[in-house]
Amino acid sequence: MRRLLRARLLVPAGVAAGVAAAGLLTFTPAAQAGTAPSGSSSSASSLHASTASASVAPTTSGAAGSASAKAAGINPVTLPSSYIAPGEALFAANCASCHGTDAVGTSRAPNLQGLGAGTIDFWVSTGRMPLADPTEQAVRKPPRFNALQTLEIAAYVQSFTPGVGVPIYHVNLSQANLAQGQSLFTLNCAACHTITGAGDALADGAFAPSLHVATPTQIIEAIRTGPGNMPHFSAGNITNAQARDIVAYVHEVIQHPTNRGGFGLGGNGPVAEGFVALLIGVGGLLLVAFWIGERA
Amino acid sequence: MIDKSLRWVDDRLGVAKGGRTFLDKIFPDHWSFMLGEIALYSFVVLLATGVFLTLYYVPSAKEVIYHGSYLPLRGQRVSEAYASTIGLSFDVKSGLLMRQAHHWAADIFLGSIAVHMARVFFTGAFRKPRELNWVVGVSMLLLGILNGFLGYSLPDDLVSGTGIRIAYSILESIPIVGSYIAFFLFGGNYPGNGIIIPRFFIIHVLIIPAIIVGLLAAHLGLLVKQKHTQFPGKGRTEHNVVGSPMFPTFMAKTTGFMFMTTATIFLLAGFAQINPIWQFGPYQPYQISYAVQPDWYMGWLDGALRIMPSWEFVGWGHTWPLEVFLPAVLFPGIVFNLFFAWPFLEAKLTKDRAYHNLLDRPRDRPKRTAAGASVFMLLFMVFCASSTDVLANFFNVPLQSVLITFRIIVIVLPILTFFVTYQICKELQGYEAAGKRKHPVVVTLTPEGEYRTTEMAPHPGDGHEEIEPIPVPTFINLVPPELATGSGVRRVMR
Repeated sequence: MRRLLRARLLVPAGVAAGVAAAGLLTFTPAAQAGTAPSGSSSSASSLHASTASASVAPTTSGAAGSASAKAAGINPVTLPSSYIAPGEALFAANCASCHGTDAVGTSRAPNLQGLGAGTIDFWVSTGRMPLADPTEQAVRKPPRFNALQTLEIAAYVQSFTPGVGVPIYHVNLSQANLAQGQSLFTLNCAACHTITGAGDALADGAFAPSLHVATPTQIIEAIRTGPGNMPHFSAGNITNAQARDIVAYVHEVIQHPTNRGGFGLGGNGPVAEGFVALLIGVGGLLLVAFWIGERA
Repeated sequence: MIDKSLRWVDDRLGVAKGGRTFLDKIFPDHWSFMLGEIALYSFVVLLATGVFLTLYYVPSAKEVIYHGSYLPLRGQRVSEAYASTIGLSFDVKSGLLMRQAHHWAADIFLGSIAVHMARVFFTGAFRKPRELNWVVGVSMLLLGILNGFLGYSLPDDLVSGTGIRIAYSILESIPIVGSYIAFFLFGGNYPGNGIIIPRFFIIHVLIIPAIIVGLLAAHLGLLVKQKHTQFPGKGRTEHNVVGSPMFPTFMAKTTGFMFMTTATIFLLAGFAQINPIWQFGPYQPYQISYAVQPDWYMGWLDGALRIMPSWEFVGWGHTWPLEVFLPAVLFPGIVFNLFFAWPFLEAKLTKDRAYHNLLDRPRDRPKRTAAGASVFMLLFMVFCASSTDVLANFFNVPLQSVLITFRIIVIVLPILTFFVTYQICKELQGYEAAGKRKHPVVVTLTPEGEYRTTEMAPHPGDGHEEIEPIPVPTFINLVPPELATGSGVRRVMR
């Protein structure tokens, strides 16, 4: 009942009741669903939660989803049409000043039509959009919108070109092959994101961001849409099953590395190790020498 | 009983005389004379842990399917070298501890050599008659760096594989003979049919350690033969050595230091992870990770390579890759030749060919100190340049800006360092009490209203003090009368 009341703040009662009754959406902080842009949403939706479970989001069937995608555990999510109207309001208030009415783009920002809900979800849910300075590479920051609002904006942009572009995916990692993921990650991702996923500076002021906080949905969206400087990998390059394996490797190994040998030193490799060896190791032993030797 | 068995040994081998000399060797007590010992004891740890590692490591590039306990690699095709190193880290009892101890010990070994070398350099301990021992020491540093690189390469993981690839290119960049040397070492074009791992292995565990052990024996033998240098001070001359004898004082000290060194290495090995190769994956020549750095002692070479502009020209039917040859062959070549030649170079420049057993204070030799500081600054800056990407990422500045900044500061800063250091030395020379604490001055107010200042005695420890005599244990009854002073502090004639 409380959930229903919360939802009513935002969407027409009938739709909210329907969604809530279906038990599909669970968004936690009540007020934030209602307050618009200024609310800093700390909650990732269950879609962006750490484990991709089955109880996730709107209907996971679908328009864009093929049988192979589903078998691979990567299921496109179809957003309910009831999201479109509130999404339009959010878009007009927060996005249209740069991306134009109807998301057709202006001289300051690109046309979003046809990019698909997955593209919108990636940029908004990682906090990269809205962007203060369009000349710099967008950085990950606390998202301005909560999970529901993000989906609504995505639904609105998708509504111009139904079925076109990259949809939002729900990833099921239960069938994933980590070894395959490791190999594919090394081949396709490590050259920029580094082998430990820590990210690093690239040429021309660009950088590859750290992968340590990305959710499975964001990872698959990044692979399929290629945000910013990142190349995009279509199903022809990396099959759905392979993409799932990469997501699993990033999510289960890169984000939770086996630090069997003690403190991981940030995954920064020999730079951090050299500092420890010289400052703590040699430095400590110098102090010992200073202690047992004569000082004058 | 001990006496009897010692006599038995001496009757047959005649070791008493030499043993006497050795046990009576006098070590100066200043703490800065103990830096080389860190290197010595970490080398002992390297040998011990290295032996353990060879019991499990398989030096082979043959491909196998990994079936060990690290899940994300299971079923992958990896080299036997990589699989056995992962096995050491996951499936051999205390294997990871030994691996990490070996690696930390290597980092500390080379770090302490650098510190020891700096002490020897800045105090002028390399002067006549000790030039040869300096050369021996620099040779060990060179071999240590080389062996560190080889050992780092043995696990055949993605990061170290990239290092081998770079090493191959560096060899190739040598004009005329480069490709022959590279082909000779790798047995063909890169990656050379998998023979590089067993070759590196045998050089790493047998050839270089054997040479280092030989040089180490020479280093210590010369140290005993030529006797220690010492800082000038009360009762210390060019013709004596003041300090504690090998037995019992120094023996106790150095044994304690050995335990402290070993403990430091194993504490790091137990608590701080180093080179987690399972996170890097096996090396495939067609794969690469961004942001790969070598271990710290190779960092200055990597940094030089990174900041070098891409100068390359084609002539006489060849491509001349100066952007690799200059920073990776010529630069370290010049640096090490300068190291080797320094004692002779300095003697030539100063025309000082006398024996020196008393050390210099760095400020009293401003030109040498400035030159040393300048070279140190150059190497340190080039070393920092090996983390251009990390710095760019951390400070959120473009990589190119970091690169160009480093190109400028590796030239400007050493020059600046030279003049600043020179000036500091000169200023310090002019100030007699530099480096000493001021005497406390007590101000008193007399009943007449007059202020009086009284200078107090110096702090204990500020002036030079002789060490309190320690009675020699009574069980040492072999002391020849001319040496038996009954004191722990001894003075011997050279």
